[in-house]
Amino acid sequence: MPPRAAYIHVPFCRHRCGYCNFTVIAGRDDLQAAYITALESELAASIVVPHEVDTLFIGGGTPTHLTAQNLQRLCALLHAWFPTAENYEWSVEANPRDITSKVAHLLQAQGVTRVSLGAQSFASGKLVMLERDHDAGIIRDAVGALRDSGLVVALDLIFGAPGESLSHWQDDLRQALALAPEHLSTYGLTFEKGTTFWGRLDKGELQTLPEELEREMYLAAIDMLTAAGYEHYEVSNFALVGQRCRHNENYWLGGEYFAAGPGAARYVAGRREMNHRSTTTWLARVTAGESPTAEFEELSPEDRARERLVFRLRRLEGLEIDAFACETGYRVEQLGGDALAQFIEQGLLAREDGRLRLTRRGLLVSDAMWPYFLRT
Amino acid sequence: MPIDKEHIRNFCIIAHIDHGKSTLADRLIEHTGTVARRKMQEQLLDDMELERQRGITIKARAVCLRYIYNNEVYEINLIDTPGHVDFHYEVSRSLACCEGALLLVDASQGVEAQTVANAIAAMNANLTIVPAVNKVDLVNARFDEVVVEMEQTLGIDPSEVLKCSGKSGIGVDDILSAVIERVPPPQGDPNATLQAMVFDSHYDAYRGVVTYVRVMNGVIKKGQKVKFLKGGNVHEVLELGQFVPAQRPCEELTTGEVGYIICNIKSIKQVHIGDTISIAGDQSAKALPGYQAPKRMVYCGLYPSDGQDFSELRDALEKLSINDPSFEFEPETSDALGFGFRCGFLGMLHMEIVQQRLEQESDVDLVQTAPNVTYEIKYKRTGEVVQIHKPQDVPDSGDIEEFRQPIVRVNLIQPSEYIGTVMKLCQDRRGVLVRQEYISPTRSMIVYDLPLAEVIYDLHDKLKSATRGYGTMDYELLGYVAADLARMDILVNGNRVDALAVICNRADADRRGRAVCKKLKAEIERHMFEVAVQAAIGTRVIARETVPALRKNVTAKCYGGDISRKRKLWAKQKEGKKRMKAIGQVEIPQKAFMAVLDTGDDK
Ligand SMILES: Nc1nc2c(ncn2[C@@H]2O[C@H](COP(=O)(O)OP(=O)(O)O)[C@@H](O)[C@H]2O)c(=O)[nH]1
Ligand code: SF4
Repeated sequence: MPPRAAYIHVPFCRHRCGYCNFTVIAGRDDLQAAYITALESELAASIVVPHEVDTLFIGGGTPTHLTAQNLQRLCALLHAWFPTAENYEWSVEANPRDITSKVAHLLQAQGVTRVSLGAQSFASGKLVMLERDHDAGIIRDAVGALRDSGLVVALDLIFGAPGESLSHWQDDLRQALALAPEHLSTYGLTFEKGTTFWGRLDKGELQTLPEELEREMYLAAIDMLTAAGYEHYEVSNFALVGQRCRHNENYWLGGEYFAAGPGAARYVAGRREMNHRSTTTWLARVTAGESPTAEFEELSPEDRARERLVFRLRRLEGLEIDAFACETGYRVEQLGGDALAQFIEQGLLAREDGRLRLTRRGLLVSDAMWPYFLRT
Repeated sequence: MPIDKEHIRNFCIIAHIDHGKSTLADRLIEHTGTVARRKMQEQLLDDMELERQRGITIKARAVCLRYIYNNEVYEINLIDTPGHVDFHYEVSRSLACCEGALLLVDASQGVEAQTVANAIAAMNANLTIVPAVNKVDLVNARFDEVVVEMEQTLGIDPSEVLKCSGKSGIGVDDILSAVIERVPPPQGDPNATLQAMVFDSHYDAYRGVVTYVRVMNGVIKKGQKVKFLKGGNVHEVLELGQFVPAQRPCEELTTGEVGYIICNIKSIKQVHIGDTISIAGDQSAKALPGYQAPKRMVYCGLYPSDGQDFSELRDALEKLSINDPSFEFEPETSDALGFGFRCGFLGMLHMEIVQQRLEQESDVDLVQTAPNVTYEIKYKRTGEVVQIHKPQDVPDSGDIEEFRQPIVRVNLIQPSEYIGTVMKLCQDRRGVLVRQEYISPTRSMIVYDLPLAEVIYDLHDKLKSATRGYGTMDYELLGYVAADLARMDILVNGNRVDALAVICNRADADRRGRAVCKKLKAEIERHMFEVAVQAAIGTRVIARETVPALRKNVTAKCYGGDISRKRKLWAKQKEGKKRMKAIGQVEIPQKAFMAVLDTGDDK
């Protein structure tokens, strides 16, 4: 069965934030029109015939940084190639500053159901540190505009910015809860190679927070959000009942998906492919009628099962042991071996009612477990 | 045309490292026309690749020089000697083939530790010393002072000291004529039964073992059957000849001559350095004195990091030992490391060389345990004395009557201003001062008796850094002496790790234990649980460190493209873990097995 999900990557941003290592191009809005045209070509070449999907996701970059006209062209493209099934979900990532009632209305009119706002924080100092161009007032206005258009609101927050304290973070969480978004994601700030933050860290201009504090911040998010009625359903994701992001769940369950745009990753017919990460190279290749794929891999059934094991365990409900075996042909005991038994014994994983899942302690150190499940 | 003994001279050059021995040897070869200049490689005698890399001479070689002096043709055999203390025995065998030694001292560096050690060895072997100050072309040459140093330390007669420069060629004729004038021709009787000394050998992939000999009495001929007295093995001489410096076959080697023989011997293990060659049958000559089996002073465990590679490692070790009879290995098992080998070496340099060759010639990834010296234990009940090559073999202290360690006499030469620092270094290592002498107004020599274990690990490095590189040292084994030694065990989460045990002096145990625990703490990654690292002597814990449990390690973002990326990253981390060794549930990186060498800086 062909994938029932599609992802489109929009690389444009006003400015590249110091911590960002996504596929982004800043200050080249002149390429927007060419980008949409290239996207048309890529989809025509790779999708061939329209496919009905259950979920759509336009991510970035900043999709809302496209001009209204380009945004409209993009949506029209999706309508043409990915007609939506009943009860579909269509998410778009947005910068709070871009969400005026006009833009919110446009998105709603195009069929978008859900907007994921890169709020990151409500504290002005932290927002400046993160090089974001909005403030708490702009976030509130954006949420208001989305609500007026009847769109589902998801908020992204970052914790662990240099200099941040636990109480600052708790304050961010309270302000986010006050807006009652349907969905919340909390990301610990990481320092990635190639970002300006990485260089500043190296020079000693920035300091990472102590591990213990980051841990407390993460736990604070879990405790406060679950107390407020949100389900903690994936490492970094929280949702009100029925409001999980279905598009992302498909990733974690090991489902397939179409994708287009620079740096976009797709998973179609058992093959994982990743487009070239440079927007200009992607443009040049697609325009010249060449494949934009830069990397690909096809996993053996065992490796695919191992991958599924890991990514399903990152979802807090874990997996059903028997169903997993039926679906992948491998039992978790077979894949996990001694390590699995040890982790259960150490209380990092729990096996109960036919399910295997992370415990709270396990969740906190889960990255140290995954290597054991990916190779024997 | 056979040459008469009166026209043969056998000599070697002895010098501290870098004093110009190889350069001068090249000049002598070139000057006597043995090889044309353009055909000469740099440092002809150091022809092994590894020697070249390390800039040291490991194997002794011999070159036959023809020189016309006062209208007569002389055959002068120049026997090269290894410079490093690990190869003392090989040096002694080379010396036994010579009647004279050219003692070279660098005109700017002056007398150094190996100058003294080598000169004394040559004097003890009754060689005639031809002293020379080398590198006199240097602007900072201080000939007169260096001559005084030679007189002070070695009792050299200043009037005998020559001036030379291997670089510019100054004094080369003087050296050759002094060798002819001062060094006596070989003794021995060409008509007596054959008696030749084996002073070196190497393995040639096409022709088998090439044995280096010096004929002491009699004549050795092509086609003759000869006996190697040590093993009693008899072989036919298929080829013999001299090095000029390439092999040049001839019909016979007579009393006093130096050359090589090839006998279709397949294993270098059958050829013992220091052995005597004589005629086959029961009329053989007596064995020459001085033969010793190679003494392995340093042992370590070598394990394949992947257990699958065991037989590959064995093959590689076997191949190496074909060329190096002084290196020894036998299988051993460790709870921590699995199946591997305990390997014995002449010394630390020898160990490094063997390891480097292993790495170059096989792609087995190795885990090495910390090296230890050989100890002796005398048992209480039986009075039996056994050699201990690894800490795991040390019995319960209740069973030990005496625990002995090798003691060496170390000569240290340095500018006098550093004497205090150097003495402290030796004192800290339980050295006993033997004597101290001033060899010139600015430099002095101190002699200490020290445990070998304290010397080999880091004394040389510490000496160099304490003296801004001016200090030099050399040592020789004195023997085994009882000491208050104990085995220190390392426990990881309560499990004794056999491969981490060390032998140390009880009085040092606390400090060593602390240092080792600290080092291991730094090497061991954090686990899901706390890891306790302890050092213990018997049941008494003397040091403890804790590697705290991992508190937070979780990736926040994992969407479309991150999935492959993360999977690859985690899978790679697992590859890294594979190369670690698991002790219980604790993973110990390979490097940690050397951590026990850390002696602690808080002396
Ligand atoms: N100025 C000068 N330098 C020399 C002379 N002989 C050797 N050297 C240099 O001293 C260093 C050590 O020489 P080498 O022959 O390798 O010493 P070895 O370790 O005793 O064999 C090299 O850098 C040589 O170029 C000499 O007569 N004069
Ligand atoms: S707005 Fe988002 S995508 Fe764009 S640079 Fe900043 S963090 Fe990166």
